[in-house]
Amino acid sequence: MEPRFACTACGKCCHGLLPLTLTDAVAHAIRFPLALVWTVVRSNAKSYDLATRLGTSVRLPNRKTVAVLIQPTAYLPNHFPCPALQPDNLCGIHADKPSRCRTMPFYPYREEKDQADLLVPRKGWECDVSAEAPVVYRNHAILNRTDFDRERADLLEQAPVMRTYADYVLKYMPWIVNDLAKMAAAPAGGKLVTSLSSFLTATRRTDARELAAAQAPLMQAMAERTRNDPALADFHKNYAGWAKEMERLAQRG
Amino acid sequence: MTSSACPCCSGLSFETCCGPILAGAPAATAEALMRSRYTAFVRHDLDHVERTHAPEIREDFNRAEAERVADECDWQRLDVLRATEEGDEGIVEFLIQFRRDGQDMRHHERASFRRIDGQWLYSAGEVNPKGEPRRVVKVGRNEPCPCGSGKKFKACCGR
Repeated sequence: MEPRFACTACGKCCHGLLPLTLTDAVAHAIRFPLALVWTVVRSNAKSYDLATRLGTSVRLPNRKTVAVLIQPTAYLPNHFPCPALQPDNLCGIHADKPSRCRTMPFYPYREEKDQADLLVPRKGWECDVSAEAPVVYRNHAILNRTDFDRERADLLEQAPVMRTYADYVLKYMPWIVNDLAKMAAAPAGGKLVTSLSSFLTATRRTDARELAAAQAPLMQAMAERTRNDPALADFHKNYAGWAKEMERLAQRG
Repeated sequence: MTSSACPCCSGLSFETCCGPILAGAPAATAEALMRSRYTAFVRHDLDHVERTHAPEIREDFNRAEAERVADECDWQRLDVLRATEEGDEGIVEFLIQFRRDGQDMRHHERASFRRIDGQWLYSAGEVNPKGEPRRVVKVGRNEPCPCGSGKKFKACCGR
Protein backbone atom coordinates (compact mmCIF):
# COMPACT_ATOMS: atom_id res chain seq x y z
CA MET A 1 0.00 0.00 0.00
CA GLU A 2 1.38 3.38 -0.91
CA PRO A 3 1.46 5.84 1.97
CA ARG A 4 -0.72 8.89 1.55
CA PHE A 5 -0.26 12.11 3.40
CA ALA A 6 -1.68 15.63 3.56
CA CYS A 7 -1.10 18.30 6.17
CA THR A 8 -4.33 19.50 7.80
CA ALA A 9 -2.65 22.46 9.51
CA CYS A 10 -3.56 21.09 12.95
CA GLY A 11 -0.45 22.80 14.35
CA LYS A 12 0.48 19.81 16.51
CA CYS A 13 3.96 19.42 15.06
CA CYS A 14 4.60 23.15 15.56
CA HIS A 15 5.58 22.61 19.22
CA GLY A 16 8.77 22.00 21.12
CA LEU A 17 12.34 21.73 19.79
CA LEU A 18 12.66 22.68 16.14
CA PRO A 19 15.94 21.66 14.47
CA LEU A 20 17.06 24.25 11.94
CA THR A 21 19.63 24.51 9.23
CA LEU A 22 22.33 26.98 10.21
CA THR A 23 21.08 29.35 7.51
CA ASP A 24 17.55 29.22 8.91
CA ALA A 25 18.76 29.64 12.49
CA VAL A 26 20.61 32.81 11.53
CA ALA A 27 17.72 34.11 9.40
CA HIS A 28 15.21 33.59 12.22
CA ALA A 29 17.43 34.65 15.14
CA ILE A 30 15.00 37.45 15.97
CA ARG A 31 12.20 34.96 16.62
CA PHE A 32 13.63 31.69 17.94
CA PRO A 33 15.71 31.29 21.13
CA LEU A 34 18.65 29.31 19.75
CA ALA A 35 20.76 26.51 21.15
CA LEU A 36 22.81 23.63 19.77
CA VAL A 37 21.26 20.22 20.32
CA TRP A 38 23.47 17.10 20.16
CA THR A 39 22.17 13.63 19.45
CA VAL A 40 24.07 10.37 19.13
CA VAL A 41 23.62 7.95 16.22
CA ARG A 42 25.01 4.49 16.98
CA SER A 43 27.06 2.65 14.40
CA ASN A 44 24.34 0.01 13.91
CA ALA A 45 21.69 2.62 13.01
CA LYS A 46 20.38 2.84 9.44
CA SER A 47 21.27 6.52 9.29
CA TYR A 48 24.78 6.09 10.69
CA ASP A 49 26.74 6.72 7.49
CA LEU A 50 24.66 9.76 6.64
CA ALA A 51 25.03 11.06 10.20
CA THR A 52 28.82 10.86 9.96
CA ARG A 53 28.61 13.09 6.86
CA LEU A 54 26.13 15.59 8.34
CA GLY A 55 27.73 15.60 11.79
CA THR A 56 30.93 14.29 13.24
CA SER A 57 32.41 11.05 14.53
CA VAL A 58 33.35 10.77 18.19
CA ARG A 59 35.32 8.01 19.85
CA LEU A 60 33.83 7.25 23.25
CA PRO A 61 35.78 6.18 26.35
CA ASN A 62 34.59 2.58 25.73
CA ARG A 63 36.41 2.77 22.33
CA LYS A 64 33.19 2.64 20.34
CA THR A 65 32.79 5.28 17.68
CA VAL A 66 29.44 6.99 17.26
CA ALA A 67 28.13 9.66 14.90
CA VAL A 68 27.01 12.86 16.55
CA LEU A 69 24.56 15.30 15.00
CA ILE A 70 24.67 18.87 16.20
CA GLN A 71 21.53 20.76 15.22
CA PRO A 72 21.07 24.50 15.56
CA THR A 73 17.66 24.45 17.22
CA ALA A 74 14.75 26.65 18.22
CA TYR A 75 15.04 25.73 21.88
CA LEU A 76 11.49 25.34 23.26
CA PRO A 77 9.94 23.01 25.85
CA ASN A 78 7.88 20.19 24.32
CA HIS A 79 4.44 21.70 24.77
CA PHE A 80 5.45 25.27 23.89
CA PRO A 81 4.05 26.40 20.54
CA CYS A 82 6.38 27.82 17.92
CA PRO A 83 6.47 31.61 18.38
CA ALA A 84 5.37 31.95 14.74
CA LEU A 85 2.27 29.78 15.21
CA GLN A 86 -0.87 31.95 15.10
CA PRO A 87 -4.01 31.48 17.21
CA ASP A 88 -5.77 30.06 14.10
CA ASN A 89 -3.07 27.34 14.01
CA LEU A 90 -1.60 28.67 10.79
CA CYS A 91 1.99 29.69 10.34
CA GLY A 92 2.65 33.40 10.74
CA ILE A 93 5.71 33.23 8.48
CA HIS A 94 4.47 30.74 5.92
CA ALA A 95 6.26 32.34 2.98
CA ASP A 96 9.60 32.38 4.81
CA LYS A 97 9.28 29.39 7.06
CA PRO A 98 12.33 27.24 7.81
CA SER A 99 13.32 24.27 5.66
CA ARG A 100 12.56 21.91 8.54
CA CYS A 101 8.88 22.96 8.47
CA ARG A 102 8.66 22.75 4.68
CA THR A 103 10.10 19.26 4.48
CA MET A 104 7.76 17.78 7.11
CA PRO A 105 6.92 15.00 7.52
CA PHE A 106 10.15 13.88 5.83
CA TYR A 107 13.46 14.16 7.64
CA PRO A 108 16.69 14.50 5.65
CA TYR A 109 18.87 13.45 8.59
CA ARG A 110 17.73 9.97 7.57
CA GLU A 111 18.19 8.20 4.25
CA GLU A 112 15.49 8.82 1.69
CA LYS A 113 14.66 5.12 1.56
CA ASP A 114 14.08 5.11 5.32
CA GLN A 115 11.21 7.59 5.66
CA ALA A 116 8.07 5.40 5.64
CA ASP A 117 7.42 5.44 9.39
CA LEU A 118 7.52 9.25 9.40
CA LEU A 119 4.29 9.24 7.39
CA VAL A 120 2.42 7.63 10.27
CA PRO A 121 0.92 10.48 12.32
CA ARG A 122 2.29 10.65 15.84
CA LYS A 123 -0.08 10.46 18.77
CA GLY A 124 -2.45 13.42 18.77
CA TRP A 125 -1.46 14.65 15.30
CA GLU A 126 -4.25 15.13 12.79
CA CYS A 127 -2.41 14.48 9.52
CA ASP A 128 -4.66 13.21 6.73
CA VAL A 129 -3.50 9.75 5.68
CA SER A 130 -6.83 8.67 4.18
CA ALA A 131 -7.50 7.64 0.57
CA GLU A 132 -8.36 11.30 -0.09
CA ALA A 133 -4.78 12.35 0.55
CA PRO A 134 -2.19 12.23 -2.23
CA VAL A 135 0.51 9.59 -2.52
CA VAL A 136 3.74 11.24 -1.42
CA TYR A 137 6.21 8.34 -1.16
CA ARG A 138 6.58 5.47 -3.59
CA ASN A 139 9.12 2.62 -3.73
CA HIS A 140 11.09 4.28 -0.94
CA ALA A 141 11.36 7.50 -2.91
CA ILE A 142 9.93 10.91 -2.12
CA LEU A 143 7.71 12.09 -4.99
CA ASN A 144 8.01 15.82 -4.48
CA ARG A 145 11.56 16.14 -3.34
CA THR A 146 12.30 19.84 -3.69
CA ASP A 147 12.19 20.72 0.01
CA PHE A 148 13.88 17.50 1.13
CA ASP A 149 16.75 18.03 -1.30
CA ARG A 150 17.16 21.65 -0.33
CA GLU A 151 17.30 20.90 3.38
CA ARG A 152 19.70 17.99 2.84
CA ALA A 153 21.95 20.17 0.65
CA ASP A 154 22.03 22.90 3.30
CA LEU A 155 22.91 20.33 5.97
CA LEU A 156 25.76 18.93 3.87
CA GLU A 157 27.04 22.41 3.16
CA GLN A 158 27.12 23.41 6.82
CA ALA A 159 28.71 20.15 7.98
CA PRO A 160 32.31 21.50 8.07
CA VAL A 161 31.19 24.36 10.32
CA MET A 162 29.45 21.95 12.66
CA ARG A 163 32.59 19.82 12.79
CA THR A 164 34.68 22.88 13.68
CA TYR A 165 32.22 23.49 16.49
CA ALA A 166 32.33 19.87 17.65
CA ASP A 167 36.14 20.00 17.80
CA TYR A 168 35.99 23.18 19.87
CA VAL A 169 33.52 21.75 22.36
CA LEU A 170 35.41 18.48 22.70
CA LYS A 171 38.63 20.42 23.31
CA TYR A 172 37.32 22.88 25.87
CA MET A 173 34.50 20.86 27.44
CA PRO A 174 35.99 17.34 27.23
CA TRP A 175 33.58 15.98 29.88
CA ILE A 176 30.88 16.11 27.22
CA VAL A 177 32.25 12.82 25.91
CA ASN A 178 30.92 11.16 29.07
CA ASP A 179 27.45 12.58 28.41
CA LEU A 180 27.62 11.32 24.82
CA ALA A 181 28.60 7.88 26.13
CA LYS A 182 25.54 7.85 28.40
CA MET A 183 23.32 8.86 25.49
CA ALA A 184 24.82 6.10 23.35
CA ALA A 185 24.12 3.54 26.08
CA ALA A 186 20.55 4.68 26.82
CA PRO A 187 17.84 2.91 24.80
CA ALA A 188 15.99 6.21 24.31
CA GLY A 189 19.12 8.04 23.28
CA GLY A 190 18.86 11.53 24.68
CA LYS A 191 19.89 15.06 23.93
CA LEU A 192 22.63 17.35 25.03
CA VAL A 193 22.32 21.11 24.75
CA THR A 194 25.14 23.63 24.32
CA SER A 195 25.02 27.39 24.14
CA LEU A 196 24.86 29.72 21.18
CA SER A 197 27.67 31.76 22.77
CA SER A 198 30.03 28.79 22.49
CA PHE A 199 29.01 28.30 18.85
CA LEU A 200 29.55 31.96 17.98
CA THR A 201 32.97 31.90 19.68
CA ALA A 202 34.09 28.66 18.06
CA THR A 203 33.03 29.60 14.55
CA ARG A 204 34.30 33.20 14.73
CA ARG A 205 31.09 34.56 13.27
CA THR A 206 31.47 38.19 12.39
CA ASP A 207 27.75 38.76 12.98
CA ALA A 208 27.98 37.46 16.57
CA ARG A 209 27.08 40.83 18.03
CA GLU A 210 23.93 41.28 15.93
CA LEU A 211 22.81 37.72 16.61
CA ALA A 212 23.37 38.18 20.33
CA ALA A 213 21.40 41.45 20.31
CA ALA A 214 18.48 39.62 18.67
CA GLN A 215 18.70 36.71 21.10
CA ALA A 216 19.06 38.56 24.41
CA PRO A 217 15.42 39.73 24.71
CA LEU A 218 14.11 36.34 23.52
CA MET A 219 16.12 34.49 26.17
CA GLN A 220 15.00 36.98 28.79
CA ALA A 221 11.33 36.53 27.86
CA MET A 222 11.64 32.73 27.88
CA ALA A 223 13.36 32.84 31.27
CA GLU A 224 10.34 34.75 32.59
CA ARG A 225 7.84 32.35 31.04
CA THR A 226 9.54 29.31 32.54
CA ARG A 227 10.35 30.84 35.93
CA ASN A 228 7.66 29.19 38.05
CA ASP A 229 7.37 25.75 36.52
CA PRO A 230 9.54 23.18 38.34
CA ALA A 231 9.20 20.81 35.38
CA LEU A 232 10.97 23.41 33.24
CA ALA A 233 13.77 24.15 35.69
CA ASP A 234 16.47 23.09 33.22
CA PHE A 235 15.00 25.23 30.47
CA HIS A 236 14.71 28.15 32.86
CA LYS A 237 18.31 27.85 34.00
CA ASN A 238 19.54 27.77 30.42
CA TYR A 239 17.41 30.70 29.29
CA ALA A 240 18.43 32.82 32.29
CA GLY A 241 22.14 32.09 31.87
CA TRP A 242 22.09 32.54 28.09
CA ALA A 243 20.20 35.82 28.47
CA LYS A 244 23.18 37.14 30.43
CA GLU A 245 25.64 35.77 27.89
CA MET A 246 23.77 37.28 24.96
CA GLU A 247 23.50 40.66 26.69
CA ARG A 248 27.25 40.72 27.30
CA LEU A 249 28.06 39.57 23.80
CA ALA A 250 25.74 42.19 22.31
CA GLN A 251 27.47 44.92 24.31
CA ARG A 252 30.99 43.82 23.53
CA GLY A 253 30.72 42.65 20.00
CA MET B 1 45.43 51.10 53.60
CA THR B 2 43.85 47.88 54.79
CA SER B 3 45.40 44.66 53.70
CA SER B 4 43.10 41.73 53.06
CA ALA B 5 43.90 38.06 52.54
CA CYS B 6 44.48 37.21 48.89
CA PRO B 7 41.54 35.21 47.41
CA CYS B 8 44.03 32.70 45.97
CA CYS B 9 44.56 31.21 49.46
CA SER B 10 48.30 31.88 49.43
CA GLY B 11 48.16 33.23 52.96
CA LEU B 12 49.63 36.52 51.73
CA SER B 13 47.80 39.81 51.49
CA PHE B 14 46.16 40.71 48.18
CA GLU B 15 48.46 43.71 47.86
CA THR B 16 51.60 41.58 47.99
CA CYS B 17 50.20 38.58 46.09
CA CYS B 18 47.80 38.77 43.13
CA GLY B 19 47.03 42.50 43.40
CA PRO B 20 50.02 43.81 41.43
CA ILE B 21 49.60 41.10 38.74
CA LEU B 22 45.95 42.05 38.22
CA ALA B 23 47.15 45.64 37.97
CA GLY B 24 49.43 44.65 35.08
CA ALA B 25 52.78 43.67 36.63
CA PRO B 26 54.30 40.52 35.10
CA ALA B 27 53.86 37.36 37.15
CA ALA B 28 57.17 36.01 38.43
CA THR B 29 56.19 32.37 37.93
CA ALA B 30 53.62 30.29 36.08
CA GLU B 31 52.06 29.47 39.44
CA ALA B 32 51.76 33.15 40.32
CA LEU B 33 49.97 33.77 37.02
CA MET B 34 47.66 30.82 37.60
CA ARG B 35 46.80 32.14 41.06
CA SER B 36 46.14 35.60 39.67
CA ARG B 37 43.75 34.18 37.07
CA TYR B 38 41.77 32.46 39.84
CA THR B 39 41.73 35.69 41.83
CA ALA B 40 40.53 37.49 38.69
CA PHE B 41 37.49 35.18 38.55
CA VAL B 42 36.80 35.80 42.24
CA ARG B 43 36.99 39.57 41.67
CA HIS B 44 35.14 39.54 38.32
CA ASP B 45 38.19 40.94 36.58
CA LEU B 46 37.78 39.05 33.32
CA ASP B 47 40.02 41.50 31.45
CA HIS B 48 42.97 39.95 33.27
CA VAL B 49 41.85 36.43 32.32
CA GLU B 50 41.46 37.46 28.69
CA ARG B 51 44.82 39.18 28.34
CA THR B 52 46.74 36.26 29.87
CA HIS B 53 45.75 33.76 27.19
CA ALA B 54 48.45 32.59 24.78
CA PRO B 55 47.83 33.87 21.23
CA GLU B 56 46.75 30.50 19.82
CA ILE B 57 43.77 30.21 22.19
CA ARG B 58 42.86 33.89 22.56
CA GLU B 59 40.07 33.77 19.98
CA ASP B 60 38.62 30.64 21.57
CA PHE B 61 37.88 32.47 24.79
CA ASN B 62 34.13 32.66 25.38
CA ARG B 63 34.17 35.83 27.40
CA ALA B 64 30.39 36.04 27.79
CA GLU B 65 30.29 32.58 29.30
CA ALA B 66 33.29 33.25 31.54
CA GLU B 67 31.56 36.35 32.93
CA ARG B 68 28.50 34.26 33.67
CA VAL B 69 30.61 31.61 35.38
CA ALA B 70 32.27 34.31 37.50
CA ASP B 71 28.80 35.60 38.46
CA GLU B 72 27.22 32.28 39.26
CA CYS B 73 30.00 30.58 41.17
CA ASP B 74 30.83 31.04 44.79
CA TRP B 75 34.58 30.46 44.85
CA GLN B 76 35.69 28.67 47.97
CA ARG B 77 39.30 27.70 47.66
CA LEU B 78 42.25 27.12 45.40
CA ASP B 79 44.88 24.48 46.01
CA VAL B 80 47.96 24.32 43.82
CA LEU B 81 48.82 20.65 43.77
CA ARG B 82 52.00 20.86 41.75
CA ALA B 83 53.91 23.52 39.92
CA THR B 84 56.94 23.01 37.73
CA GLU B 85 58.86 25.23 35.35
CA GLU B 86 61.48 24.54 32.73
CA GLY B 87 62.72 27.68 31.07
CA ASP B 88 59.77 29.37 29.43
CA GLU B 89 57.37 26.44 29.92
CA GLY B 90 55.41 25.88 33.09
CA ILE B 91 52.86 23.36 34.31
CA VAL B 92 50.54 24.00 37.22
CA GLU B 93 48.13 21.39 38.49
CA PHE B 94 45.39 22.80 40.66
CA LEU B 95 42.09 22.08 42.35
CA ILE B 96 39.37 24.72 42.68
CA GLN B 97 36.45 24.19 45.04
CA PHE B 98 33.35 26.24 44.42
CA ARG B 99 29.58 26.19 44.77
CA ARG B 100 27.20 26.59 41.84
CA ASP B 101 23.40 26.23 41.92
CA GLY B 102 23.67 25.15 45.55
CA GLN B 103 26.04 22.30 44.77
CA ASP B 104 29.63 21.73 45.81
CA MET B 105 31.81 21.45 42.75
CA ARG B 106 35.49 20.76 42.07
CA HIS B 107 37.55 21.72 39.09
CA HIS B 108 40.80 19.78 38.74
CA GLU B 109 43.09 20.85 35.93
CA ARG B 110 46.67 20.50 34.76
CA ALA B 111 47.37 23.77 33.00
CA SER B 112 50.23 24.65 30.69
CA PHE B 113 51.83 28.07 30.62
CA ARG B 114 54.35 29.70 28.32
CA ARG B 115 56.46 32.78 28.86
CA ILE B 116 56.49 35.19 25.94
CA ASP B 117 58.47 38.45 26.18
CA GLY B 118 58.69 38.05 29.95
CA GLN B 119 54.94 37.48 30.39
CA TRP B 120 53.57 34.17 31.57
CA LEU B 121 50.49 33.16 29.55
CA TYR B 122 47.98 30.32 29.87
CA SER B 123 48.23 28.08 26.80
CA ALA B 124 46.29 24.86 27.48
CA GLY B 125 44.57 22.88 30.16
CA GLU B 126 43.71 19.26 30.76
CA VAL B 127 40.65 18.83 32.95
CA ASN B 128 40.66 15.85 35.32
CA PRO B 129 44.17 14.93 34.19
CA LYS B 130 45.22 11.36 34.21
CA GLY B 131 48.30 10.56 36.26
CA GLU B 132 51.55 10.77 34.36
CA PRO B 133 53.04 7.40 33.55
CA ARG B 134 55.22 6.31 36.42
CA ARG B 135 58.83 6.43 35.37
CA VAL B 136 60.97 3.68 36.78
CA VAL B 137 64.58 4.63 37.08
CA LYS B 138 67.10 1.94 37.62
CA VAL B 139 69.83 2.85 40.05
CA GLY B 140 73.29 1.56 39.15
CA ARG B 141 75.13 -0.39 41.86
CA ASN B 142 78.01 2.05 41.93
CA GLU B 143 75.87 5.23 41.84
CA PRO B 144 75.23 7.34 44.93
CA CYS B 145 72.34 5.87 46.88
CA PRO B 146 69.05 7.73 46.20
CA CYS B 147 68.35 7.77 49.95
CA GLY B 148 70.89 10.55 50.27
CA SER B 149 73.27 8.74 52.60
CA GLY B 150 76.26 9.60 50.44
CA LYS B 151 77.28 5.96 50.18
CA LYS B 152 77.24 3.94 47.02
CA PHE B 153 73.93 2.22 46.36
CA LYS B 154 75.53 -1.23 46.62
CA ALA B 155 76.92 -0.36 50.05
CA CYS B 156 73.64 1.11 51.31
CA CYS B 157 69.99 0.41 50.38
CA GLY B 158 71.01 -1.88 47.51
CA ARG B 159 72.78 -4.31 49.75
